[in-house]
Amino acid sequence: MNRSGAKIVMEALVREGVDTIFGYPGGVVLPLYDEMLNWPQVRHVLVRHEQCAAHMADGYARATGKVGVCLATSGPGATNLVTGIATAIMDGIPMVAITGNVNSWAIGKDAFQETDIQGITIPITKHNYLVTDINELPQVLAEAFYLANTGRKGPVLVDIPKDVFTAMTEAEFPTTIHRRGYTVAGAPPQDQIDEAVRLITEAKRPVMIAGAGVLHSGAMDELRKFAETTNIPVINSLLGLGSFPRDHELSIGMMGMHGEAAGTLAVQEADLVLGVGIRFDDRLTGNTNGFAPKAKIVHFDLDPSEIGKTVSPVAFVLGDLKLSLEAVNKLVQPTERPEWTAQVRKWQDTYPLVVPEGRFLSRTVLQGLNNHTDGQAIVATDVGQHQMWTAQFYKMKKPRSFLSSGGLGTMGYGFPAAMGAKFARPDEEVWAVVGDGGFQMTLQELQTAVEYNCNVKICLLNNGFLGMVRQWQELFYDNRHSHVAMGSPDFGKLADAYGVQFFRCSRLEDLEATLAGASAHDGPVLCEFVVEMEENVFPMVGPGASNSSLVMDPDLEPSEAAHHVGAFETTHAGVKQ
Amino acid sequence: MSTHQHTITALVQNEAGTINRLVSLFRRRGFSLASFNAGDCEDPGFSRLTFIVNGDDAVVSQCLKQLNKLIDVVECEDLVSEQSVQRELALIRVEPTEEQRQSVYNIVNEFMARTPRSTLTSIVVEQVSDVSNLERLIAALTPYNITEIVRTGTVAMKVEAQA
Repeated sequence: MNRSGAKIVMEALVREGVDTIFGYPGGVVLPLYDEMLNWPQVRHVLVRHEQCAAHMADGYARATGKVGVCLATSGPGATNLVTGIATAIMDGIPMVAITGNVNSWAIGKDAFQETDIQGITIPITKHNYLVTDINELPQVLAEAFYLANTGRKGPVLVDIPKDVFTAMTEAEFPTTIHRRGYTVAGAPPQDQIDEAVRLITEAKRPVMIAGAGVLHSGAMDELRKFAETTNIPVINSLLGLGSFPRDHELSIGMMGMHGEAAGTLAVQEADLVLGVGIRFDDRLTGNTNGFAPKAKIVHFDLDPSEIGKTVSPVAFVLGDLKLSLEAVNKLVQPTERPEWTAQVRKWQDTYPLVVPEGRFLSRTVLQGLNNHTDGQAIVATDVGQHQMWTAQFYKMKKPRSFLSSGGLGTMGYGFPAAMGAKFARPDEEVWAVVGDGGFQMTLQELQTAVEYNCNVKICLLNNGFLGMVRQWQELFYDNRHSHVAMGSPDFGKLADAYGVQFFRCSRLEDLEATLAGASAHDGPVLCEFVVEMEENVFPMVGPGASNSSLVMDPDLEPSEAAHHVGAFETTHAGVKQ
Repeated sequence: MSTHQHTITALVQNEAGTINRLVSLFRRRGFSLASFNAGDCEDPGFSRLTFIVNGDDAVVSQCLKQLNKLIDVVECEDLVSEQSVQRELALIRVEPTEEQRQSVYNIVNEFMARTPRSTLTSIVVEQVSDVSNLERLIAALTPYNITEIVRTGTVAMKVEAQA
């Protein structure tokens, strides 16, 4: 049937099961916005800044595993998406970004609102397209969705000139997608499984680091069965949180620069480290020369380029994680390792995460949020101290319930991502945990939340600082504060101006009532928690330092910390850089 | 591990932005690209590229994996020199004195090069050969006032090892 490019875009969305898109109109996408009025089955959320359209699409994708879709006009509309697209590629989030461009005959002439968004996004997309021939549009859109959500997932951008939206074609959507050279990882080769199982069987002190790959592959059940059969303790990378129940006796929480001490110590003492769907990034490994010094590393992943990129595994299993773990589960024998698991538990008992009593700290609030929601809510964070504390104290019970910009570290991500998650899963309670710095980057979306009655709860931890930057200035720059004190507007008046329910809380006595009040309100709520200004995140591995030079929380008793540390350089004094 | 020159060939699907995407990968991941060449191949809509990359085995292995990850790349390979034919074309303009002209022609003959265009003042020398031969030719011509050199970069094809 002969129809326009604009209609083909809407057809593609419906074919792909997209119920919600996030966008902002402008000159060259007018034909698409006009066509959109004929498609009530696709909800369009009008954002206040295109960056947030990308973050909402990202939150939608992380909360569901479906492709998130964002839409922007040419020029500044398209460039405003860039931070959101870069956030998505770093964390492997399936996203399709559609941008309009100037008429195809005007491209390259520096036309009004022209920008080379294809060129700009080459390094931050899994793939991208500039469609200048209407006949290719159905194929390109089908491919874009396929590429975004298969293999190692990621954002795909489709740039469509205005005249392609209005041109007509009878070209049909393809029934199958085939691209030469693009294969989706399936089951791993049996010899890789056999070798991994041999190493697992030999190991005396194995640990597993489970990452976001487990969530992307939907391998949570297989991971749990594997861990329980072999009694291998499970640590999560930041983005792997939620892939394994945190209240499980084999869970030792998060690993990394601010990971829980037990996990870090276990990896440093282990004789076998299984990296499952992780990319051994620098925030997790610390200085790779000092990472897991006694261990053989076995890497499970679907992306060949991750194998050997930062650490050198002795073996690897290349394939879809669900299938890889299924295959491993067929071969591994039930194994008890009482000494090792007892040792790990001892580390956990010796180095717990602490929340000092009688003070009103960010940790106090986040522990309260965890208790209040019982880990059942979806929580999205910004980046910085509150992100690490949320990762430490929020014991999410379900997969796809912790949304955070782990790779790019994007401030301003949390609030719009939480909104995207709420649009996708309206029946879930959704919280955005943000700081006063990050929230001021994207708070204009309060208006979007009001207009769509997007019922997200914002936990704003206001300490008057860019806390993580201040912490580094304290630890590594002689506590010389350079541009980290952060003024804020009166958030109560701001919430009033937007028509958002507001609570301010600065005392422990009011914490539970505030959280309960927020949950009870039917609509967006801004809760400002005025917390102590100078609080540091511990444990900590200094940037560029080895995980062996882990610094414990000074609030832990030094005598406790002297215990069990053995050869570690674990200190309470300064963080080594 | 020591740094070597590696010859990587890639078959790529040619779309808007393909070459940009390939070259961008080398830049952003810090792979050292000594030369690259792209051209049509036996498949319409596809191109075959040859990259000369400096790096140790780990770097080149990572480079291949990253190239393979690009959606446009159908296949790519690190060619072993004994199992490949590698050639480069160079055009070298020399402007010798009148007394030197015969010496230039002698060198051209010695290297079995060609001179597609000569004027009273300049000679364009054309050579297709492997890189070391080309560089010897350039060295030999250097005393005769080279004023311009244009090189294609290496193109390479995998072949069976010679018996």
